[in-house]
Amino acid sequence: MVTKIDVFVAISIAIFVLSLAYITSLGGLGPLPPVDVRDIAYQYLNLTYNPWRRFLTSFALESVTAIIWDFRGLDTLYETAVFYGAIIASIALYRGVKITHSRGGTGLSPIAKTVTRLSFVLIPTVAASVALHGHLTPGGGFQAGSIATVVIVLAIIVFSRYFLPGHGLSKERALLLRSIGLLGVGLTSIGLLLISFLLGVNAYIFQNQAKLDAPLSYPSLVDDYTLGGSLLFFNLSEFIAVAFGFMIVFLLLSVSEEDVREVVTRD
Amino acid sequence: MIVVLEVFTLALLTLFALTSVVAAYLAIRERDLVRAVVFSAIQSSMYALIYYVLMAPDIVLVYIPVSVGLIPAVLLFVIKKTERYEGE
Repeated sequence: MVTKIDVFVAISIAIFVLSLAYITSLGGLGPLPPVDVRDIAYQYLNLTYNPWRRFLTSFALESVTAIIWDFRGLDTLYETAVFYGAIIASIALYRGVKITHSRGGTGLSPIAKTVTRLSFVLIPTVAASVALHGHLTPGGGFQAGSIATVVIVLAIIVFSRYFLPGHGLSKERALLLRSIGLLGVGLTSIGLLLISFLLGVNAYIFQNQAKLDAPLSYPSLVDDYTLGGSLLFFNLSEFIAVAFGFMIVFLLLSVSEEDVREVVTRD
Repeated sequence: MIVVLEVFTLALLTLFALTSVVAAYLAIRERDLVRAVVFSAIQSSMYALIYYVLMAPDIVLVYIPVSVGLIPAVLLFVIKKTERYEGE
């Protein structure tokens, strides 16, 4: 049912949006960014895969992943830390709440379950491909993790919240797997540094390829297949950390209100 | 040829942007919160298309699962804990 007010509001919003876009395109809301490639962007694009400047390149074919995990790797480490903190906070909010798998939650109809079973294979395959090809094609650890979370949400909604814990993926195990993923991120970032202590040579944190004064580097090419050095390990670890981090949040969110209230009022 | 491409890109962007505005308006007007979540997901998928036209496939790959899959799921869990219909 469309009233006159609806039409009036819709037209006025459209005029507002179009005029705002026009003002922005004229530079009315601050200076416009330059159209041509800026110097730093040129450097990033030039150095993403550049065998002729091998002390500066990251030997990956995808510049976004190279920037995220190599050139600006420390920023991404802190972002991962923020995500870690958010998940820890949600676990702390739900402390004491148990996800038992004794009560009978049966989920949706057999039709919905059958269709969802297909996606149990397809979606993780896409996610794994996005993670493993993160250094070659668009994508990466976070993207793959959030794609994989879709299948976890589907499992919780279609098969009830007792399905995943009943099949061995309890909240505690998800926390363990997530910690393993984070450990992978941490170890990859200091991996070359640890090896350099043993060999007695110079190395840096977040070093991917060899630098002028640091000779160690992650494998960048295995039998004609570009590995991108540390980027593959970073993407894999981030994939595991993000997917199981989101899984903990959704398992906690799906706990029924009565169970939570029971725990909260008990204190 | 380049001018034609540019006009086509801008026309696509305008189409997606205006559709997203309509979806946002409908999401705010809707009293049924579950339908409002669906309108919000339509708005987000328009944003994902805009990112795709702007040649940012990395963002598209994270935007689609988060905005169409995860945020509606969180909102549906929250709606389940309150009421489905917004009162006057």
